[in-house]
Amino acid sequence: MADQYAEIARVIVEGDDTQAAKLVESAIAQGLPPLDILNKGVVAGINKAGELWAANKFFLPDVILAADAFKAAMSPLEPKIKATRGGQPTRKFVIGVVQGDMHDLGKSLVIAMLASVGFEVIDLGIDVPRDKFIEATRQHKPAILGLGAYMSTTMLEMKDIIAELKKQGLRDRLKVMVGGVPTSQEFADEVGADAWGKDAMVTMQKALGLVGGSHG
Amino acid sequence: MANPTLEMIHGLLYSRGLHIGHPSGLARIVGAMTGGLMDVVPFGGAQIHDHAMTVARVPARLFYWKAELLLDTHMAVNHWYGFDSGNIVADNYNFEVEALGAKMIYSDNAMPTVDVSRPLITGPADLDRIGPLDTSRGRIPMVVELARLYGQKEPGLVSGGFFCSHWSLICQAMGYPKAVRALKRDKGFAIALFDWVNDQVLMPFMRAYARAGVKRTYGADAWAAFPNLTPELVEEWVIPYAKKLREQCKKELKLSAGAGAAAADYCEEDPSKFDKETMFKCFIVGAKTFPLKVVPSGMGRTQDWNMAWVREFAEQQGKGGKKIPIIASLNGRFMRDSTPDQIVAKIAEWIDILGRDGGLIFGIGNVPADTPSLNVHTAVKATHTLGKYPIAPDLSRVRIDPPTFQPFDEWLKGQPEADTIFKTREWKPGRTPVAA
Repeated sequence: MADQYAEIARVIVEGDDTQAAKLVESAIAQGLPPLDILNKGVVAGINKAGELWAANKFFLPDVILAADAFKAAMSPLEPKIKATRGGQPTRKFVIGVVQGDMHDLGKSLVIAMLASVGFEVIDLGIDVPRDKFIEATRQHKPAILGLGAYMSTTMLEMKDIIAELKKQGLRDRLKVMVGGVPTSQEFADEVGADAWGKDAMVTMQKALGLVGGSHG
Repeated sequence: MANPTLEMIHGLLYSRGLHIGHPSGLARIVGAMTGGLMDVVPFGGAQIHDHAMTVARVPARLFYWKAELLLDTHMAVNHWYGFDSGNIVADNYNFEVEALGAKMIYSDNAMPTVDVSRPLITGPADLDRIGPLDTSRGRIPMVVELARLYGQKEPGLVSGGFFCSHWSLICQAMGYPKAVRALKRDKGFAIALFDWVNDQVLMPFMRAYARAGVKRTYGADAWAAFPNLTPELVEEWVIPYAKKLREQCKKELKLSAGAGAAAADYCEEDPSKFDKETMFKCFIVGAKTFPLKVVPSGMGRTQDWNMAWVREFAEQQGKGGKKIPIIASLNGRFMRDSTPDQIVAKIAEWIDILGRDGGLIFGIGNVPADTPSLNVHTAVKATHTLGKYPIAPDLSRVRIDPPTFQPFDEWLKGQPEADTIFKTREWKPGRTPVAA
């Protein structure tokens, strides 16, 4: 059994999406507990990929493929996990680049990574006005709101968005993550965010952490 | 002296000890690129398009559509800063995909950007559907005209046309994650993509350049920078196709096409992950896209690099105790976010380690639009002052006063680019049908 979990983790690290899906399907068919398959196999695999990334042994192409394998593994697993949780809805992540900023390549990577670990990502796009973030938060009730900026001038908008969330009584109901080239942990602390996404991989890992490490 | 050939010869002779006359910017660059000592360390310039547009206060919806405006604005801002190179680097990455029909995002204050959420290519069948590049579409005629004008106004080896190299064009057309999947999982599709870019997109583009009398083109490939691609993947994919395009253009068009610029550029963002072995691999592979043997740097987080590593590499690659030339690129965000004192200190540190024996050229990776002009002026002044040969034994004792410079608009009056820029400011949205 432990070998099966290790094998699932291994193929996810290797980015083999076909094998990842097959092994998870096989484990489900054998009656292994879905949450064990998830935590001991699938999450263990993506976490290992993250460790290799941090240790300079994995590069962006490897991370993309590992995320794909993760997604493939989640496909047969997700309905089973939802069933064990009594149909609890998918966690939502609302994301957007703040007003005045047109850069969205980094955001695209973050969306790919978040989607691969089961978040339902609502992309508000680029150059997003403050009111639209507030409206989307009210409408979608996300677990996490992600704010991106590429320029030191536009990133200041994040502080105002978080202040507006507080003013509207929405801040306590969600976590806020900030990211983008000019941001830092210090900046995230300063503006009152819950976490800073240094890069797409870290954003994904921290997002999972913020919602309790689960995927369903 | 306004003859680029003579300027280059002057640079070569000066760098070998024949100190006659005052070297021009081009002479300084040529002398330093061949590893020699000039009068000062040259400041080569930067990719500057959004910043130049901001400094000159011209609207994006004209700047990126009008060849003469784009060129004149670049040249004016380059001259205002006192760069040693008249080099301009346009927005390389969007011309082809836009003309091929990709969804674009147009803005009042930034370059046109491809909308990666709606990719042009999702699978192999799209390659046949899209067909070859029609060089009469989009901004392709404008960028060909830009190259022609650039050759007229800046004759010599610097000027040329711009294009997006193979891998970056694939990423622009289908998004980076999907492009990576093709590369790693579906080699047949990846080959079809690279062949399509080369034969159906870039060759028609190069033919259009050749028809306009353009002799040189430069293709950028920032999506092939590290860690987007490893040096091994660059070696496997980017370099062979850059070579293929170069050879085809040389044979068929008598045109020099330099593809793959910025491929394997060491762009690790996390200083705790800096790794000498990987950096050196990137240097070796990245230098293959240069016409001369150099240590390349471009957009990386160079402000945190250990420059002793860079020197070690340059010495390893040199012969007879002489290091190969080093292109030392100041990071654009560092330039935007630092104080003038921090910029001076960084330049002093780099000249001390890398430049005492010549063969060093400064530049800036990509200047963000909102970079304070004071910072760029400071960098140029500090490079020329601290980098005056022979280099002072203790650079911390060399005083760098704040640069004095006229505001851009005052300086511009009487410059050849003044009319083009001032008239453009009279434009109001809606009057000229230039963009969506």
